[in-house]
Amino acid sequence: MALTELNFEFTPKEPKELNDEWGHVGIVSSGDLEILIEKGNAYKGKASFHILTTVVGFDNVWETVLGRLVDKTGLSGVKVSINDNAATPAVVKRRLQQAIENGGGLQ
Amino acid sequence: MRMDWEELQEKSFYRSSARERAYGIVDPGTFREFLGPRDKMYSPHLVILGEAVEFDDGIVVGVGKIDKHPVFVISQEGNFVGGALGEINGAKMAYMYKIALKCYEAMKEKYGTVPEDRKPLVVVSYDSGGVRLHESNAGLVAHSECMEALWKLQNKVPNISITGSSLGAYGAQGFVCMSGDVVLANDYGRIGLTGPDVIQQEVGKDEFDASDRALIWRTMGARSKYILGDVDYLLKDTIKEFREKVKELADMSMSDISKHRHLGSPELVEDNLELVKIAAELKIDDSKDLWEYYGNENLDELPEMPQEEFLKVAKRRPRRGM
Amino acid sequence: MVATTNFLGKAHDAIEYIFDKETFVENKIGSTRLDPDLAPPAMVGEATLDGTICTVLSVNSRRPNPRFRVVFNGVMGMEETYKFSQALYATIDADKDKPIDEKRPVVLLIDTPGNSPGKIEEIVGMTKGTASYQFALMDARAAGHPVIGMIVGRAISGAFLCHGLLSDRILSLPKDYGTIVHVMPTTSIAVITGIPLERLNELVKTNPVFASGAEFVYKLGTIDELLDNPDQMRDAIIRNIAEVKELRKQGREDKLGIWNRGQVGAERGGRVKRIEAIEKMEKEFENILPDLLE
Repeated sequence: MALTELNFEFTPKEPKELNDEWGHVGIVSSGDLEILIEKGNAYKGKASFHILTTVVGFDNVWETVLGRLVDKTGLSGVKVSINDNAATPAVVKRRLQQAIENGGGLQ
Repeated sequence: MRMDWEELQEKSFYRSSARERAYGIVDPGTFREFLGPRDKMYSPHLVILGEAVEFDDGIVVGVGKIDKHPVFVISQEGNFVGGALGEINGAKMAYMYKIALKCYEAMKEKYGTVPEDRKPLVVVSYDSGGVRLHESNAGLVAHSECMEALWKLQNKVPNISITGSSLGAYGAQGFVCMSGDVVLANDYGRIGLTGPDVIQQEVGKDEFDASDRALIWRTMGARSKYILGDVDYLLKDTIKEFREKVKELADMSMSDISKHRHLGSPELVEDNLELVKIAAELKIDDSKDLWEYYGNENLDELPEMPQEEFLKVAKRRPRRGM
Repeated sequence: MVATTNFLGKAHDAIEYIFDKETFVENKIGSTRLDPDLAPPAMVGEATLDGTICTVLSVNSRRPNPRFRVVFNGVMGMEETYKFSQALYATIDADKDKPIDEKRPVVLLIDTPGNSPGKIEEIVGMTKGTASYQFALMDARAAGHPVIGMIVGRAISGAFLCHGLLSDRILSLPKDYGTIVHVMPTTSIAVITGIPLERLNELVKTNPVFASGAEFVYKLGTIDELLDNPDQMRDAIIRNIAEVKELRKQGREDKLGIWNRGQVGAERGGRVKRIEAIEKMEKEFENILPDLLE
């Protein structure tokens, strides 16, 4: 019954670094999520995701949605922490883009 | 993390998140958050219960500046578990009052007396239903800790309450809000102890019909509270309006700020009791009865008319000392 | 002594049980006479405890308030909170010229199910009533009066917040003697939060934050002392008054009240994250304090 914890790591083909030290967006209301992106030397060339979600059994969906977005944007050199309260994939995608923007975008 | 201060100024206070309100209420670029998202201090109790968590536990606290005044900001996020207080966000809120007092003492030590143009302030933006039931015992005592700590700010550190977000200041947050020196609101502000649903559930629909929106607004809403004196200033719904009012108050002397107080002295007990007695004698059934008693006309239009017009025509309960 | 060992709904009986026999005088505090028509449920006055004059604040569940239909069965309405406030200011006034040693104690007998959930209360401002009473309790403590809360029945949610939680010390009878200490029953919490009751009941065993009852909130530090039975109340109150007086004389305010109980609770294993949050904030604050003073 406790929260589900998911961890993924992606390595984009064309890695791009976040401009700022960190970015943050979102409020964990029902159907929404918050995303915190933090730069870190330990994550060189990759994006490491740590997710706490109320929903069970959508590991593959998360992996697909996040993996595609990392590939498309080149997001790397970061740890991404997510608190999710049953957001749809569309919302996850939009928030991740906003979080990158809030962190100054990618270079 | 980026926050466009200029953009925030024109933004609706009502539609702003707790963090946006916190950054926008002080001078540009001055807000520094304590225990922000990167500290990841979220509720261990919600985790156990399988409930979603938030890195700031639903509250944004920190300090910014308005001119030379340090401004200690507590900003609640109603969209996360009803903005309600649990162990961590409760500790964050209560400790902010302690920190504000420490700042005051440090300033006193440095300058001899605290210069009026540097005095620290507390600003609380309420958006909460009170105790977080998921960790109820912790939430309850946290409110008591807030009261013990904020009581000590009187006549030292101005404590400004703002209600202008979707959930208002309800439950135990209602009395924490009224314990501030000055209460600011926009037209969305609400202050109450027992919410409409709970009254209906506990006493019955004949006492309170929780589906009656108009009844809710004229009972707990900012306009009625403004007429009856609980809301000191009714403002337009932009962050800028609130920041400018806070700035104006910051420049006021502590003794002038204290004159706004709604409770906390034997004189104010009698002042408040007088309103209770009037309500009992008139056998009021609706806030409109009291609006009329204090000389208001067009009672049905008061909640609906544009704010500017309302502020022109509204007649308020005279308050002791003001 | 009254032949009862359960004060649920009968806090007024506890007055005779605890204080010196037949010394309670209602609506009198020093030279002040409180209006007997105001707030009938608010049973306030003076009684002596081992010869020492005390202010007693309790709610009489058998008396309704004729002016406010929701105020009955021990509920605290607006008049009640203001009358308690008046009693506290009269207490401060009565001893204003006395040295700290002679400030009369204030004893709260706690048995109330809630603040009045009524429409009129919301229009006029129940919020201000409960906050006024809390400020008056703080004012009494600041003036040097020891304030002891004694849970003899219901100590529930907002009513416990105003009538009890801000005491210097809080004592409680165990639940076998009819005490109920919580925000709301676990059954209601299950309904509102959607968490299955069985799950909550299971969690309660390991985490007092979810629990209901004096035994659990004791672990959080919300209650200083859990008594075994009513016969211990009188002596425990007398002893706690003496301890509070002594600590106050030594300037150890930090060992009294709700903030101290938070520390006590952490030692008992409750709310440990709270301490961690506070310590981190303290460090962040200290780092920027020099800038704030510029």
